[in-house]
Amino acid sequence: MDIVPQLIANSIIAGSIYTILALGFNLSFSTGKFIDMGYGVMMVIGGYAVFYLSKILGLPLPVGILLGLVISGLVSYLAYTVVYKPLRARKASGAVLLIASLGVLTALQAVIAILFTSQFQTLSGLLSGNRVFEIFGGAITAVQLTTLALGIFLFVILAVILKYTMCGKAVTAISDDEEVSKIVGINTEKIIGSVFFISGVIGGLGGMLIGFDTGIEPIMGLPWLLSAVTAVIIGGIGNVYGSIAGGFLLAFAENFGIWQIPGEWKSAITFGILILFLLFRPRGLFPK
Amino acid sequence: MEPDTQNGGGMAKLGIWLVVLLLIIGGIVVYGKRGEDTKKASVKEPIKIGFIGPLTGDLANIGANTKAAVEIGVDDINSAGGIGGRTLEVVYEDSQCTPAKSTSAANKLISVDKVAAILGDTCSSATLAIAPIVEQAKVPLISYASTAAKVSDAGDFIFRTVPSDVLQSSFAAKYAVEKLAKKKVAIIFVNNDWGLGLSKGFSEAFKAGGGEAVFSEGIDATSKDARSLLSKIKAIKADILYLLVMPGQAEIVIKQAQELSLKISIFGADPLEDMTVWNNAGKAGEGVMFTTIGTSPSDDFKAKMKAKVGSDEIIYSGPFAYDGLKILGKVIGEVGTDGTAIKDALYKVSYEGGVSSPKIEFDQNGDPKEAGYAIKIVKNGKPVVVK
Repeated sequence: MDIVPQLIANSIIAGSIYTILALGFNLSFSTGKFIDMGYGVMMVIGGYAVFYLSKILGLPLPVGILLGLVISGLVSYLAYTVVYKPLRARKASGAVLLIASLGVLTALQAVIAILFTSQFQTLSGLLSGNRVFEIFGGAITAVQLTTLALGIFLFVILAVILKYTMCGKAVTAISDDEEVSKIVGINTEKIIGSVFFISGVIGGLGGMLIGFDTGIEPIMGLPWLLSAVTAVIIGGIGNVYGSIAGGFLLAFAENFGIWQIPGEWKSAITFGILILFLLFRPRGLFPK
Repeated sequence: MEPDTQNGGGMAKLGIWLVVLLLIIGGIVVYGKRGEDTKKASVKEPIKIGFIGPLTGDLANIGANTKAAVEIGVDDINSAGGIGGRTLEVVYEDSQCTPAKSTSAANKLISVDKVAAILGDTCSSATLAIAPIVEQAKVPLISYASTAAKVSDAGDFIFRTVPSDVLQSSFAAKYAVEKLAKKKVAIIFVNNDWGLGLSKGFSEAFKAGGGEAVFSEGIDATSKDARSLLSKIKAIKADILYLLVMPGQAEIVIKQAQELSLKISIFGADPLEDMTVWNNAGKAGEGVMFTTIGTSPSDDFKAKMKAKVGSDEIIYSGPFAYDGLKILGKVIGEVGTDGTAIKDALYKVSYEGGVSSPKIEFDQNGDPKEAGYAIKIVKNGKPVVVK
């Protein structure tokens, strides 16, 4: 049997989730100008919100998902207004913000663990069957196809918003130069706040999709965040197109890499690529 | 202005040194007193034994179940008059089964709680990490769940009530070759001491039985994506998959195998006893087989466990931890709380009537002399014993 079609399918599956996570991270990073580790916990919150609302309380799944997206967006917004905004107002350095966001990640992760235990949970029971499709000899499930579709959809929407709407142009302006944006009259604080809300929503969506595909646990934030950061660095920081390129490149490298070498080296591949990019092409494939 | 600042700096420095001095004196006084207090009270003070296990994290279910069994053991010992008139107290520490957390837990138990012995850890990699620490502190350790082959040589103070993997994997391999008539095995193992040990033991015994190990690759403990590994196995056409991963990862691999329509028998090891795997795996789990370490808990123990955890679930590590505690209680009652004396007595102990196995005696490596296994298969979402 030929293994290549399945490897391509596996890469597309992994790549679409990396893309979604990278899109959200890229957005907050390019405006906030610091590595927001707290983004990792938004995935956890999104996943657990659906778990709680739909699996425990028994609300209809669409309601659970919608509320979950709002909750993860709000938490991200609150993290910004309560923690990051005052620090930024005090001209705190990127390192300070990074550590503060690590605190947000750890603290919220602990809260989730206390509320829902650290047990691994699956959301797939909420779906009425997860059909498996065979495409050119590669198997892919309905959830994974949805993830891919959502990834492409988000990418298009973000690209359009950033390019053609006033709000999107303001975001682009802030990511170019925050001070100048302020001078020309953009309410930067408000815009950055809504950017964090949206990035939280995207992170939450990513967490839900991970939950439907495999499952959720409180400590899942960091490993996924690291993959997203790697994808963003490969693709080019602050560039929407970079997120999609980085996400898929990383996924293909990981999945095709372990075709030839044993599977225990998968994370070595990921971080090897990260180091190579940081050394030789620190601004990514598509520098801004 | 400059001399002034310098002068101020000098004063500040003096102030800091004064504070340091005060702290040192205060520390000596307080700690000196505490020493006296413990000396006076030592006769009535409870005997402390440490417990290290995954009370949170992926294996929290195993940790909680085992803790319940240990609590039953403490109640049993204390209601029978304690150990030599002193009550027994167990200090529980969470390790999440990681070597780093387990190390700090062991250090805390030894230096802060001053425990006489330790029960722990669950994961072999964590037990191996704390072995040198307890060895140096001369505090005997009994593991109730670490089955890695390496634990045998971990040290003189390291014991276990649970049998080594070498026995389990060769038992599983023989069963796969002889009873299931499988010829080509693919192995996925979690990339740690436990996974590597079992995978080696299995492929050796499988080859000795006339089979062939066609694939053996590791997976990171945190990875939730085994698709490419499974795709490789599908291409190789193995007829059995020996799956050496923990709960939280096992159900994912099993589900992904089904998604990729990988038609292969899946065979696992004792951690699959955890019911959360089968609740999460749903239909994909049907027909999966695994070895369990044979336990024959008494009805009394079963009833007490049910009262503690609220379900019939007894994970194998519970009975082994219970017996480990009872053995420690027995030995400490005979020789006191000196670590070396406990260690020497453990090598000679013969404990009968336990809930994990009929009789426990330790060999020169601190391993149990006898071991029994059973095969279970998942039917209608629940593992049942294969007769």
